[in-house]
Amino acid sequence: MSETRIEVKDLVVRYGDQVAVNGVSFTVGRGEHLTLLGPSGCGKTTTLRAIAGLEHPSGGRISLEGRAVYDAATRTNVQTEQRGVSMVFQSYAIWPHMSVFDNVAYGLRVRKQAQDAIKANVERALNLVQMRHLAERGASKLSGGQQQRVALARAIAFSPTVVLFDEPLSNLDAKLRAEMRVELRELQRRLGITSVYVTHDQEEALAISDRVIVMNVGVIEQIGTPEEIYNKPRSRFVADFVGSANLIKGKPAGDDTFVTEGGTVLRVMAPHKPHGNETEVAVRTAYIGLEPMAGENHVPGKVRQRLFHGDFVQYVIDSPVGAMIVRRPPTNLLPEGADVTLSFSPEHCVLLEA
Amino acid sequence: MTTLAVLLIVGFLVLLPMVFLVEESLNVGDPMAFPPVEFGIANYIAIFEEDLKTVWNTLIIAVMATVMAIFIGFTLAWILTRTNVPGREKLERLMELPYYMTPLVGALAWAVIAGPKSGFVNQLWKAVGGTGDIADIYTHFGIAWVMALFEGTVAFVMISASMKSMDPALEESARVMGASKLRTMLTVTLPLVMPGVLGAMLFVFAEMLGSFAAALVLGIPGRIYVITTAIWDSTLSYPPDYGRASAMGLSLFVVMFLMLSFYRRMIRRGTFTTISGKAFRPRPMEMGRLAWVLFSVCALYVALAVVFPIAALLMTSLQRFATVLLDQAQWTLANYHTALSLGPVRTALFNSIMLGLGVATVGVVIMALLVWIIYRSQLRGRGAIEYLVMFPQAVPRLVFGLALLWAWLNIPIGIYGTLWLLALAYFTVMLPLGVRTLAGVVLQIDKSLEECARVCGASWGYQMRTVTLPLLKPGILAAWLLIFMACVRELGASAFLMGPNAKVIAPSIVSAFATSGTELTAAMALIQTFTVIVALVILFRVARGMTKELQ
Repeated sequence: MSETRIEVKDLVVRYGDQVAVNGVSFTVGRGEHLTLLGPSGCGKTTTLRAIAGLEHPSGGRISLEGRAVYDAATRTNVQTEQRGVSMVFQSYAIWPHMSVFDNVAYGLRVRKQAQDAIKANVERALNLVQMRHLAERGASKLSGGQQQRVALARAIAFSPTVVLFDEPLSNLDAKLRAEMRVELRELQRRLGITSVYVTHDQEEALAISDRVIVMNVGVIEQIGTPEEIYNKPRSRFVADFVGSANLIKGKPAGDDTFVTEGGTVLRVMAPHKPHGNETEVAVRTAYIGLEPMAGENHVPGKVRQRLFHGDFVQYVIDSPVGAMIVRRPPTNLLPEGADVTLSFSPEHCVLLEA
Repeated sequence: MTTLAVLLIVGFLVLLPMVFLVEESLNVGDPMAFPPVEFGIANYIAIFEEDLKTVWNTLIIAVMATVMAIFIGFTLAWILTRTNVPGREKLERLMELPYYMTPLVGALAWAVIAGPKSGFVNQLWKAVGGTGDIADIYTHFGIAWVMALFEGTVAFVMISASMKSMDPALEESARVMGASKLRTMLTVTLPLVMPGVLGAMLFVFAEMLGSFAAALVLGIPGRIYVITTAIWDSTLSYPPDYGRASAMGLSLFVVMFLMLSFYRRMIRRGTFTTISGKAFRPRPMEMGRLAWVLFSVCALYVALAVVFPIAALLMTSLQRFATVLLDQAQWTLANYHTALSLGPVRTALFNSIMLGLGVATVGVVIMALLVWIIYRSQLRGRGAIEYLVMFPQAVPRLVFGLALLWAWLNIPIGIYGTLWLLALAYFTVMLPLGVRTLAGVVLQIDKSLEECARVCGASWGYQMRTVTLPLLKPGILAAWLLIFMACVRELGASAFLMGPNAKVIAPSIVSAFATSGTELTAAMALIQTFTVIVALVILFRVARGMTKELQ
């Protein structure tokens, strides 16, 4: 993360009088894989399209490799084709009137590469996505997964330094999506590509990113590594949108103590300096044990409901701090009605910003 | 049983005239004899021996008009669907206007603008010291020009539809890969909409072959005959040569029919792989300062096809002697006064409006019933009904008029030369238009809405009254207005079927142009246009209400 490849500063994008992106700033380092995560309509795709020059912002600055490609102050707006970025579209946008080869060769031909260099580069790119055997096939005769691979090959064939991904896996079925996720991550590491990736799938975002930006209604909620986002959510929105968490209401009493509405005292961790006006703590459903452990917060409870999911079991437990959801491995099943002690460590009991 | 009855009635209206036409085209004896006594193919051979020049004219004009129409249509479609030209939505609405102006009015207007000697352009040219004429609309090119402007609108509609159904990401990815706007258009947009453009080309060419009005107004003064005007001409000679006219009409029909069938097969086969039928959110390209250049292109088209023609007709109709030089103008309302008080003109206008009201009202009810049978019932043979109903679309109006003329001259029911025959003819030729419009609405209404009413305990009648008809209402209104407009402006079929006691407006305008001054003709054309415009305004209101209701 030595040098900055992409810098977005105070970006604002409006559609008419609607503000889609409202003052977003972040940087992407060389070789970094950054993900914009958020629900639909949060402005993540708009931000990505603004980097590509497909959306006309109304304020802020975007620099690629230190060169301003958009700057509201100097009225700079470099045309899409001169920005030198590459992009994989949600609909793949494979040109149906060309063969697979011609699709992948497009960026190379635009750059006037020699005939044999084009051939070599296309083959290399198709090899990377294991599609070399289909080079001569018409692009309209490909399955969804194949189109996705061709789109990927096309995006990397001309060796761009920055590749933008607009929900590239959202049109695939669940199993294929999981496979492509692994492949994408590997490819990205191998080629050292700097990438910005947009998705609404939090699992995908956590799995493949170096850093994640969580967005909501046009602004950034939190920036951090996947572990930070998961373990130390800053806001109620992040705790709720990424992973699953229990929210407990109350108010802080000192830097690391929290009194719930029912009067239970919990020891908590505050990622930020508490202001005193916070009203909630978040506890991940996966971080709660059902037997007392030394040094942890303890709350008595009673199993109200048990749902067997296969990979895990989900309990709903009534307790003085409210109904708590707990996910445990599917061993040692507890019956409904059993008395338990909820146990979770202070560092997993995160004080959320008001 | 029902199907058989419907098939018989529609078949009687649609197919029987064509059978008479075939019989007459093979008549080589006395052309007025019925039934013919001698059969042969002499009439067909004569086309190649004596009318080669006409065939040649037809082809040249149709090719020129098609090329111009496609060029104009493609350019406008690209500007209006793929770029951020200012005022896009308003401009898009304006594009339909030339079609509603009709080729007849367009041809008259352009005769006023660019006629030799007295045309406005030539008057101005002389006023600034030029000699001779710089524009002459009474030429092959002139005829093609007017056809392209006023009948080529369908090219714009078809091409922009195929552009709208294209995923914008296909273009955007080319831009991201480093291709310029021009390169993107040439390597991605153009090849992708090519099937749509080819289809439009075929369709427009077939239309142009059967086009009548422009060639009638602009071709006859310069003795440039195309097939349609030659058919018209040979029935006017004495004795009228119906055999020859029928042979030409049938040949024209066969050529057009083959082209349209080919066109239909083309769209049915999956050449349109890009066209998923999914509507995409339009993401127009940023054109920067160029946007205003593109705006001027659209504005120029509107000026040439709407503003100048209407202005020229208005100026002409308000003067005693048409001139564009304002210091010589003698302004008067006399032409409107004459047009509205002249007995034959007034009756013709009255007749046209009455026919429009009657045919639209009765027609829509019958067509709604047909649509219900074709698209909602389980009756056997509904495919055949659909085919029959759509059949008149493939027959040039003029040829259908000729066929009906010949049929009703020989059917011993005395409606020839009356408004009843015109009403029948209008209803038959409007079948495709009305059924298509209504079907569009019926197919949008999910079947389950009706089924749900039945499940809730409603009888068929109750369901129709409370669910189906209210949902259909906007569509029925739209179909009614479209048919009304089409009736008021109808020329091709009316030309043959109008009798001395059953005059209608469009052919009357043509004969006024041939016999009296342009000033009076212009006034008549504007009165007809005004009637259509009123209907059009209502139509837009209804259309807007309809989209709102369905959302």
